[in-house]
Amino acid sequence: MNDPHAAIFTAGQDGACDDAELLRRIGQGQESAMSAFYREHGRVVLAQVLLVTGERVLAEEIVQDTMLAVWHGAGSFRGESSVRSWVIAIARRQTRDRLRGRRLRVVDDASLADQPSSGPGPEVMALDRAELAEVKGAIRELAPPHRELLGLVFGSGLSLPEVAGVLEIPLGTVKSRLTAARTALGRVLDEKGQNR
Amino acid sequence: MNIRSPHLDIEDLIAEVTGQAIDDRAREHLTHCEHCRAEVNRWDLVASGVRGLAADGVHGPADARPGRTRRTRQRVLAGPWRRTMLVAGSAAAALVLLVGIGAATGYVRISGDRTQATLTSVPGCTQLEQADGILQQVNGTSLVIETTSGQPLTVTTTASTFMSVSGPLLSDITDGASVEVRGSSSEGVIAGAIVTVGQPFSAVNFPGLVPVRGTVSDASAAGFTLVTSSGTRIPVTTSGDTLVVVPHASPSQLQGGISIFVLGQAGPDGTLSAKGVAAIRQFRSGGTLHVSTSVRDCSPSSIIEALGAVGAVSGSGG
Repeated sequence: MNDPHAAIFTAGQDGACDDAELLRRIGQGQESAMSAFYREHGRVVLAQVLLVTGERVLAEEIVQDTMLAVWHGAGSFRGESSVRSWVIAIARRQTRDRLRGRRLRVVDDASLADQPSSGPGPEVMALDRAELAEVKGAIRELAPPHRELLGLVFGSGLSLPEVAGVLEIPLGTVKSRLTAARTALGRVLDEKGQNR
Repeated sequence: MNIRSPHLDIEDLIAEVTGQAIDDRAREHLTHCEHCRAEVNRWDLVASGVRGLAADGVHGPADARPGRTRRTRQRVLAGPWRRTMLVAGSAAAALVLLVGIGAATGYVRISGDRTQATLTSVPGCTQLEQADGILQQVNGTSLVIETTSGQPLTVTTTASTFMSVSGPLLSDITDGASVEVRGSSSEGVIAGAIVTVGQPFSAVNFPGLVPVRGTVSDASAAGFTLVTSSGTRIPVTTSGDTLVVVPHASPSQLQGGISIFVLGQAGPDGTLSAKGVAAIRQFRSGGTLHVSTSVRDCSPSSIIEALGAVGAVSGSGG
């Protein structure tokens, strides 16, 4: 075993109380609290926005706008969701506003819906054969809504009900879209495999 | 569970992959269902891809960096260390996402790559120091370690000091011991990848590896029988690659030559009063140990959780 074993652990997101306190202090205009909030959530928000936009500079601008919105709107947080859900929902709105007017790849509801199959189809088999680097490449080729959903579920630390809250869709729809996203991912992998 | 299918609902599968809690019924099902374990593995691969992309977005492609974990074609829990590395890689990506832009002063960061100074201050925790080295001897409740700088350091412990030990410690799996086993299951036999001895510990939580709790019976070098609370007897095989974690250990369980990570307060006499100790038995001698961990703040619970995780994901290099 020649690999150097690198192991990094990150503590769970148990800082809900701290986050709420941070928002309270931000609402009072404390810049140090804003800095702490940025450190706590900036990377997650950036990663999520980057996943959707695919453009680093644009993503950073959106994160800046998001944090500005937090600075001005901290007092409006009512504690009905986690702070992480709240800030990601803000980022999502900022992203949508910035991308409005651009020609985006259109994904209709049918392609986002669940596509059940009776057995392991080529998409599943492609996923079973895939390596991590291939999966990463395939995720980049997914439609933005699929990338957004996968990022929220696996990159943001949100539960599925929280994801449903951010996307403002029912939990069942989140599940079906998640299945569809994986099917689309498998399809990309399958196509790439056939082209090799 | 899915009311229309004998298999787990996607919410349970995702919860398993993301390390969230699933109920006992779902966990029991996952233990015995090849289909659902395959689904967990597929979702785990998707999750790794997302996290990898997130990390790439911050630091550039991970694939371009040496020593990073890459998923191989054989992905069905073929070995505990490959699995551990996958988990570590995902956790690394998550950490990249979590530590914030700029200086992460709110975190304790521990790096044990054998190039560190004797005693390292922990940013953001003025009362906390970090040390790592090789255990030379145990004097009652005190440990003498040779630090990375080659200097001896006395580490004092108390009854409240958290101490974990991990490594190929099969001899710690004894009859009557309460254990939690993680591993792949085939035809009713679990190939033990990670065995936690004693009370379950939250830091030992590897998504994708289903834990089964019980009591050890018929322990031998090749394995043991796990007796669950319902009386079910499950054969468990172990090997030299099985990672054994003892999250609540005592100094008497430590042996010379083991790698030690300590977080504590420096005393005026040059000793380090340990808040927590992670002891790691290498799987092979002579390897270079790379361990890095972070905790959320400077609280005792955060220190314990982080050091427990260090022990849980320890490993060796060749």
